[in-house]
Amino acid sequence: MVNSLLEIRGIKISYGGIEAVKGIDLDVGKGELVALIGSNGAGKTSTLKSIAGLQPSNAGQVHFDGKSMSGVEACKRVSMGIALVPEGRGVFSRLSVSENLLMGAYSRSDAGIREDLLRMYDLFPRLIERRDQLAGTLSGGEQQMLVMARALMSRPRLLMLDEPSMGLAPLMVKKIFETIKEVAAQGMSILLVEQNAGLALQVADRGYVMESGSITLSGTSLLDSDAVRRAYLGG
Amino acid sequence: MEIFLQQIINGLVQGSVYALVALGYTMVYGILGLINFAHGEVVMMGAMVALSALSVMAGLPPLVSLPLSLFLAISVCMALGYGIERIAYRPLRHAPRLAPLITAIGVSIVLQNLAMLIWGRDYHSFPQLFANHAHRIGGAIINDIQIVIVVAAFLMMAGLMLVVHRTRLGRAMRAVAENQHAAQLMGVDVNRVVSITFMIGSALAAVAGVMVSANYGLAHYYMGFLLGLKAFTAAVLGGIGNLRGAMLGGLLLGLIESLGAGYIGDITGGFMGSQYQDVFAFLVLIAVLIFRPSGLLGERLAERA
Repeated sequence: MVNSLLEIRGIKISYGGIEAVKGIDLDVGKGELVALIGSNGAGKTSTLKSIAGLQPSNAGQVHFDGKSMSGVEACKRVSMGIALVPEGRGVFSRLSVSENLLMGAYSRSDAGIREDLLRMYDLFPRLIERRDQLAGTLSGGEQQMLVMARALMSRPRLLMLDEPSMGLAPLMVKKIFETIKEVAAQGMSILLVEQNAGLALQVADRGYVMESGSITLSGTSLLDSDAVRRAYLGG
Repeated sequence: MEIFLQQIINGLVQGSVYALVALGYTMVYGILGLINFAHGEVVMMGAMVALSALSVMAGLPPLVSLPLSLFLAISVCMALGYGIERIAYRPLRHAPRLAPLITAIGVSIVLQNLAMLIWGRDYHSFPQLFANHAHRIGGAIINDIQIVIVVAAFLMMAGLMLVVHRTRLGRAMRAVAENQHAAQLMGVDVNRVVSITFMIGSALAAVAGVMVSANYGLAHYYMGFLLGLKAFTAAVLGGIGNLRGAMLGGLLLGLIESLGAGYIGDITGGFMGSQYQDVFAFLVLIAVLIFRPSGLLGERLAERA
């Protein structure tokens, strides 16, 4: 792919002898919204962690914007433009909402941080009401908004979301996905990992299906695929 | 009444020192979930280095030699704190919790013996640099050194709170304390934050060491052991991992100790005297561990222990 922002080739990850990711290839183009779906334990989270630099891989290569990421520490990848909203959100519950957002901009030293803070409050009006509250006191949906806004505060070029709908009420899931579409429409490249396959494939430009550590299917019209229907969409 | 007031003053002075040292324990625990049992030895090193520097600069006016010695002690202790973490704790970051506890004790023994080799087994006396005026408050006495200790300790604690709660570094420290992985995802270099935390704690320890030796007029290679244990007790009393708790615990422990020492003679009809002072700290430790293991201000319990 010519316009590839993220390029993964043959990544293998194992935990104590058990191979969780068995050599996968995956691309995210510039401005593309790519969904990675699959059941629990398929290796999706490990893949995201490895892209973010939190999980060492045994083999394979991750290239971001043409540069090899091997040996680049997680904390350095943020300033290169990779942001991960982890599974379970990872809010700093004893920091206030605004402090959480400022942590998102930790890797930046430019003058636009205040401005971006206001942009986030525009995008998520619920957060401005609660900006001085400890993040631990927010509801699950509000926390998901907070961590998405926090990730955007780093001005990423690739936004990775791990199970953003997990544990949320349907109405909140809808709101979160509307925001994902909105962010994607502004040109952000997004890699979305979801168990809610139908929802993810609806918003995505392209999708990958992962099963026990391997990519089994990929393409632009996975919603129409019988195999995907049977396995992930209940019919 | 005079005894009461006097013991309150003594307790505040000693408690300020405990608070400064307890902050070092609690900051490290907050971030790594580790008890840095070598911290007391850093306090001792601070006192000994400052004393040596003062004796080398004996000819200089005290207004020059004291700040210089203090600066030197702080620098040496910060380097020491950094080194202790790098050598004894970082390689064991993901090891079972017992391992860094053992290396902590190891480092503590090494530092004690190192100090003994350098400075010998004798007590070293802290030179009298300034006239130490005594002031009377309602029958009790407080001298200049004690006033300086209390004021300086409170200023440093206020400064630390400002750093932790109002700066980018402080935010990063609190973020790392709560969730290292999430902090990394924000671009925080966790190792750097850990190093800085050790260095800040060690700087406070250096100042505390100089305060103790100035107050008692003595320093000794073994002084860090008991002081460290008591400051650890103070940190546990306040709720380990909690900065305000360390300060509160330090002051309370100082007061408990000095009031206990002041009245134990009356209470036991002269059977026990103030030489039992040290017992109180450990009675407090035992009582806290039994009745309120999370400490006075600690809310989370056993999550990391």
